[in-house]
Amino acid sequence: MNNPYIPNPTVIRRITTENDANDIKTFELVFTDPEALKNFRYRCGQFAEISVFGAGECPIGIASSPTDQGYIQFTVKKVGVVTTALHNSEEGTIIGVRGPFGNGFPLEAMEGRNVVIIGGGFAFTTLRSLTNFILHKTNRDRFKDLTVIYGARNPGELIYKYDLKTWGQRDDIDLNVTIDQAVPGWTGLVGFVPAVVKEVAPSSDNAIAIICGPPIMIKFTMPVVSELGFSPDETFLSLEMRMKCGIGKCGRCNIGNKFVCKDGPVFTFKELQMMPKEH
Amino acid sequence: MHNVENSIREAAKKLLSEKKVDLIVGYERGTLPLRTTPCFVDKAEDVRKLVWNENCDANLSKYLLSRKENVGVVAKGCDARSIAVCIFEKQIDKEKVVIIGAPCLGLIDKKKVKAKLDGRELLEATIEDEQIRLKGEGFELVFPKKDFICNSCLTCRHRNPPIYDVFTGEKVSEAEVDEFGEIADLEAKPAKERWEHFKEELDKCIRCYACREVCPLCYCKTCFVDQTMPIWFGKTNDLSDTMIYHLVRAFHVAGRCVDCGACSRACPMNINLREVVKKTEKIMKERYDYTAGLSLEKIPPLGEFKIDDSQEFIK
Amino acid sequence: MVVFQMVWKVIGKNKIPTLIQELNKEYEVFTPVKKENLVFFERVSSGNEAFLDFQNTKKSPKEVFFPQTEILFTYEINKQGVEIEKAPVLKRDIVLLGIRPCDAKGFLLLDKFFSSGEYKDLYYLEKRRNTTIIGLACNRPLSTCFCTSMGGAPFGKEGMDLLLQDINDKYLIETVTERGEKLIKKLPWLKDAENGDIDKVRSLSRNVEKAIKSKVSVEGVSKKLDGMFDNKQWDLIHEKCLGCGVCTYLCPTCCCFDILDEATTKWKRVRIWDSCQFSCFTLQGSGYNPRPSGKERMRQRIMHKFNYFPKNYGENFCVGCGRCVQECPVNFDIREVVEAISTDIWREKDE
Repeated sequence: MNNPYIPNPTVIRRITTENDANDIKTFELVFTDPEALKNFRYRCGQFAEISVFGAGECPIGIASSPTDQGYIQFTVKKVGVVTTALHNSEEGTIIGVRGPFGNGFPLEAMEGRNVVIIGGGFAFTTLRSLTNFILHKTNRDRFKDLTVIYGARNPGELIYKYDLKTWGQRDDIDLNVTIDQAVPGWTGLVGFVPAVVKEVAPSSDNAIAIICGPPIMIKFTMPVVSELGFSPDETFLSLEMRMKCGIGKCGRCNIGNKFVCKDGPVFTFKELQMMPKEH
Repeated sequence: MHNVENSIREAAKKLLSEKKVDLIVGYERGTLPLRTTPCFVDKAEDVRKLVWNENCDANLSKYLLSRKENVGVVAKGCDARSIAVCIFEKQIDKEKVVIIGAPCLGLIDKKKVKAKLDGRELLEATIEDEQIRLKGEGFELVFPKKDFICNSCLTCRHRNPPIYDVFTGEKVSEAEVDEFGEIADLEAKPAKERWEHFKEELDKCIRCYACREVCPLCYCKTCFVDQTMPIWFGKTNDLSDTMIYHLVRAFHVAGRCVDCGACSRACPMNINLREVVKKTEKIMKERYDYTAGLSLEKIPPLGEFKIDDSQEFIK
Repeated sequence: MVVFQMVWKVIGKNKIPTLIQELNKEYEVFTPVKKENLVFFERVSSGNEAFLDFQNTKKSPKEVFFPQTEILFTYEINKQGVEIEKAPVLKRDIVLLGIRPCDAKGFLLLDKFFSSGEYKDLYYLEKRRNTTIIGLACNRPLSTCFCTSMGGAPFGKEGMDLLLQDINDKYLIETVTERGEKLIKKLPWLKDAENGDIDKVRSLSRNVEKAIKSKVSVEGVSKKLDGMFDNKQWDLIHEKCLGCGVCTYLCPTCCCFDILDEATTKWKRVRIWDSCQFSCFTLQGSGYNPRPSGKERMRQRIMHKFNYFPKNYGENFCVGCGRCVQECPVNFDIREVVEAISTDIWREKDE
């Protein structure tokens, strides 16, 4: 039996700084063992435990899409011991990865449906994975209309600007990028995510909504989404919790009797309504 | 004792009904022999729950930290002194606290009782004057109460709260005690042996932090143990890490500790946590003639710098 | 189904050191050991260290399978990269002698938890699977023991391979599992029990069970807690709790842990006990804490034991050993909480 606590070594191949504040970076990792790469089969919305040797381990959502061949990407904000150590690492550094963990997004349920993706701030990482997955030529036909609403505090805090640019040039995605307050030079949407969702008003007809963002954004977005007619069991949220083991054993990420690491991190809004309000 | 209990109830009732406080923090009967448990009373009719006896061992000043409402608190000498330190250190708002001072004749150390019973379970204990009657399955024993008094109480010179708003009962005479006698043996040992002693003692620690959580002066929002940026030392129960934890904590409370003994009583592993701090208390006394928690105004020696401070430690 | 022959043996109390001595040749033997008035489970190297005249041990024996600090692996960072060295595996099988029925039941609950789900906890399971448990029935339960309320019994055999039952100057040894039988076969010098001994033990077991006075009505509590997440009583009951880890660390079933990297001569990734009662347990990197006060943390402990775990595994996560009751620095008594929920006092007060 495989020991789920032992990480697989990878090498940082590329580091991309994502924001002006310089505290969000995307790390592109390649497995040193081809076997480990083969075993690392993941779905959009899953996460992995990243080891920075000499510092520790932390859970990070997978930012690349399963359609990206030969590498995986993680977008990491510098907040604690491990993420700081990771930010201080250079290309070529050995990084441990174990996973993938968690349930991921309900891709099967999304097939043949319109998909509405709503994200805010740094939490956009796994949504980016999902967007790229849907947009990939091998997958695009399997889904109907794709609407993406993504907001950040200011233009400098928008991550994946390169993707946003590519997406914006396509006609098979309705991309709505917003910033909190108007700044000179910004010609896009202005306003908080909930307000923009209301404005864009994506149809809930044959549609599934996928939402991820800071608690405050979720709080104000949910009523808007409900108003638009998205049913609670077809609205999916990806949650964040303090985690350690990633496999439902260390005991800290539970909400009621569910563990965010193994039963989530993706839950339907209906499930969340039934769960204790402790997240 | 009974007198004091009644008088505490009356004082509590008065404070609540006159709306001078919103809440009384005191003690009520516990669920085990020789135990009381902290109790929170917000209605005048509930004051009858309050008890006063030799088992009122929790230092209730811990419950005053970060309180928004006006609180009346039952306090022994040591408790009142720790409240005084917290008031001076701006952790407790003097205006929001009414200290119901109670004279203390010493707490019963349930660990001493356990040791005496050597594995037999205590089912009932009654205290009559200076005697304690211990009952259990197939035994009934009577001992002098003094055999089971907490070590911190045996060296106490402030049984009457030096600071209070209401005093309940009558003041008791302060005992003439050898305050630092209990650490004489340890002091007499060569450094190496002392180190060995601390190692042996602290090796029992399971890092449950009961000592820290019950300590009225351990109020740091984030304890140095829990800090992660940077991580100062390990969180495992490896002896070297455990020793750093205890020794740094001892330094943190040096010159502030009132020797209420809560840490030693709380430790599930029976570690004598008072020892090191007692030594720092002695140094404060000898060097600065200072005893913590006796005044709300006097700046503690470790809280200020004086040009004539002794500096022989700089070598 | 495994069929094995139920055997009853006896061993004189004075022969326990000999037994341990002999087991020691083949196994890592852990028994209760007395150290300055406190009794702990420890690895013993000689038969004389075992101390079986105890009521219950201070710490639960969970640490044999789930040590407070456990190395998951070690690693070295060198020019070539990172070299991971897996933690050494068990060299010899384990014998745990002197396990009380409550603690043995605790193991069964931990087994369920650590072996459930897609990922098994191999560190726990490897030790556990290679262990023979020689239980010790409880002749003198403590006043705080409420095992019978939690589905256990002072002479309970659940989780035991062999069960020692104390009758004056000897122990009757009951074979409970095939594993136990295997061990017995290695000890041919053990005498067979007489019918009189077995009768004696049966009546003793009944009497001791009757003598347990601490009862908690736990029936239906799990269900009742379903609607009590927002009950106002949570605001009150946690108030005296100071947030230390005594209850969870001494508990035979609490098994939350943290994972961190530590350097000594080599880097090692370790897991250490953690407690839901600590404020930083759920503190997120952003500074947000979903369980910001003692209220949420106390609720988590009670809910986990009597609602979440029962939902996931069909049993309460408490065996009634009473350690948390005995050792809480402020005399927080979990029995009172369960009783109040069970008798609807909470529901009534909330209305």
